[in-house]
Amino acid sequence: MIELRHAGKKFRQGTRQIQALRDVTLVIKKGEFLSIMGPSGSGKSTLLNLMGGLDQPTEGEVFLDGRPLHGITDNEVTLLRRRHIGYVFQFFNLLPLLTAAENVGLPLLLDGLPFSQVKPRACALLRQVGLAERTEHRPDQLSGGEMQRVAIARALIANPAVLLADEPTGNLDSHTSEEIFLLLKSLNNQGQTIVMVTHDPKAAAYGSRIVTLKDGAPAQDISIGEHES
Amino acid sequence: MSIKYAILGILAKKDLHGYELKAGFDATIGEFWSLNFGQIYSTLDRLEKDGLVTHDRQSQDKRPDRKIFSITAEGRTELTQWLSAPIARVRALRDEFFIKLVFMDKDNPAAVLALIEKQKTLHLKHMNKLTRRKIALKTEADNPDALTTELLVDVGLFHAEADIKWLTHCEIKIKAALGGKE
Repeated sequence: MIELRHAGKKFRQGTRQIQALRDVTLVIKKGEFLSIMGPSGSGKSTLLNLMGGLDQPTEGEVFLDGRPLHGITDNEVTLLRRRHIGYVFQFFNLLPLLTAAENVGLPLLLDGLPFSQVKPRACALLRQVGLAERTEHRPDQLSGGEMQRVAIARALIANPAVLLADEPTGNLDSHTSEEIFLLLKSLNNQGQTIVMVTHDPKAAAYGSRIVTLKDGAPAQDISIGEHES
Repeated sequence: MSIKYAILGILAKKDLHGYELKAGFDATIGEFWSLNFGQIYSTLDRLEKDGLVTHDRQSQDKRPDRKIFSITAEGRTELTQWLSAPIARVRALRDEFFIKLVFMDKDNPAAVLALIEKQKTLHLKHMNKLTRRKIALKTEADNPDALTTELLVDVGLFHAEADIKWLTHCEIKIKAALGGKE
């Protein structure tokens, strides 16, 4: 599914060279729900960005279903991302002027499909995330939890190989967060591969596997099978 | 201490014999707290002496009589008062891990840090297990205790989370103290 081979990432910050990730070799299997934990500055988001093609490694390789995400042009990455990767961010990143259904359909609209064709699927996804009654609402008419549900539906519109979530509930209260995790977990139970970055152990515990990063490298990899007790 | 009130709480709903009481206890809080018959009977004895519980004898075919326990008016008053009062004592700091920390070799921080790491992993695995229990509870729509059980699972999650946060805090402080020396 996703494979990183000796992937590393260096940043230049002023005159200093920062090694955000070092020599990460990691395989994420289809159907897995992986939580990535670690203190701030440990490279969690950088790692997720490499998996999602939002960033390129300065060393090593990254593959999604065998396709390289490294060393390809920006246009190629953008297409791969739009068609195979669903992204959920902490601050939802919805377009304020579009309705929920339009926001959800956006990745397909950008691919040139007409809204009439996209809308039924967008509405079906909104139903799936519990927002059947909110398809025509704009973001400012929705609560934080509802906005994140819209963002999750949008991330799913292209049937992505993997759903990547960066602190998806960092901006929500604990009860609303729980509802979002339960939604992610139920998507995972239906076969959706999920990688979620979080500093919150309560969130990480929804995963079937937890990788902890320390100073830019995996320090710990705990697998917790569903059948294990 | 709270066994007493758990028993009063169960008897407040229904008169029961000892075996049924144990079953009632197991069904409501047994997932988190297991009691043996000895503890239940000795608590019942004490409650009877204090006049909070009384019993009736029920004869059985070819078997000794069994006692059916019921809560008294005094017992109900005591239970109501207990239910409405907050708990004055906060959680005691006598976790086994604290004792280990106290007696760890202060000159060998690597061992302390390794222990912290292992402890964090255990807490995470525990949280994962509780989370799966919580998800399973969502499907038990007919379970009348699903909400309270979920709230108990939640408190387990909050405590484990606090433990992990504290352990991470220990890690950072120990490392900082080390950095200061070098």
